[in-house]
Amino acid sequence: MFYVNFTNFVNDKYLYGALFIVKRGTSMHIPDGYLDSTWSIATYIVSATYIGYAIKKAEITKNLERLSLLTVLAAGIFAAQMLNWPLPGGTSLHFVGGALAGILLGPLFGSLTLALVVTIQCLVFHDGGITALGANILNMAIIDVLVGYTMYKIVLKALGPSTKTRFIGGFIGGWLGITLAGIACGVEIGLSPSFPYGVYITVPVMGLWHLALGVIEGIITGMVVSYLSMKNPDIIFSER
Amino acid sequence: MLLKKHWILIILLILISPLFGVVLADMVGYHEPLDVAAEKLGLKDISDEINWSPFYDYSVPGLDPITGYIVSGFIGVGIIYLIGSLIQRIAGKKR
Repeated sequence: MFYVNFTNFVNDKYLYGALFIVKRGTSMHIPDGYLDSTWSIATYIVSATYIGYAIKKAEITKNLERLSLLTVLAAGIFAAQMLNWPLPGGTSLHFVGGALAGILLGPLFGSLTLALVVTIQCLVFHDGGITALGANILNMAIIDVLVGYTMYKIVLKALGPSTKTRFIGGFIGGWLGITLAGIACGVEIGLSPSFPYGVYITVPVMGLWHLALGVIEGIITGMVVSYLSMKNPDIIFSER
Repeated sequence: MLLKKHWILIILLILISPLFGVVLADMVGYHEPLDVAAEKLGLKDISDEINWSPFYDYSVPGLDPITGYIVSGFIGVGIIYLIGSLIQRIAGKKR
């Protein structure tokens, strides 16, 4: 198992550090106490700027149908994230849904969907720290959404639209989206002086762990997108 | 749109969520051993110290963990629905 393999290569300090990062990282919600004030403020500024831009550019008053789907999708992602699959050894896995939101609603509405979910999780349930809300929105509502959407569009452009290519696009989008979001998370906590491990530990651990577990995110994303494309293709706004 | 069907699916997801978030977590010992490892390192999650929410970690005061998890799910989805409906109403009027 992961724990046993690591003991062959690293000393206890790095083992504990890596495992602790993994534990926090797979839930992807950074708690309070991990980011220093510089990173906290910087990520708040980046996220607030992008979300403000998305609200302005989304032209919500002209897109009531998409707004309606945003509400349902945000509720669905919130519920899906509560299905927290615990893995033996103390870590856990849950669907994040950023790529799915980007693929279904497009990058602007997709980011607004995840930003709504992450903000409610933080403010109402203290899932993710208030000092880390900017970083959590950046990782899950911006990076995951934009990467997922972009990869899906690239795959469909290259292979053409079909049920199979939609699965492939959703799979690659979901997988890479969560992996890059995990790496971003590793950079943020690794560069924070308050966290005792540098990016040379946090980035590989977060990146590799999400690269492995992200396969499941990719499969779920691909399956949902291909299923919806058969049952109700109009729901995939990014293809309109 | 097939939204009604989706709301039913969301309700079902919430109802089964404690199986994963509470029951299985207890079975595999979700809080161990990594919290112990963190303590050995001197790492500190300060969430408890600055908590502001009565629904911390999807629990509800006075309810057992399973019921609290389900009620938390409905609270979260209810808030999302209210916010979405409010924005829709405002956006509809501005149209």
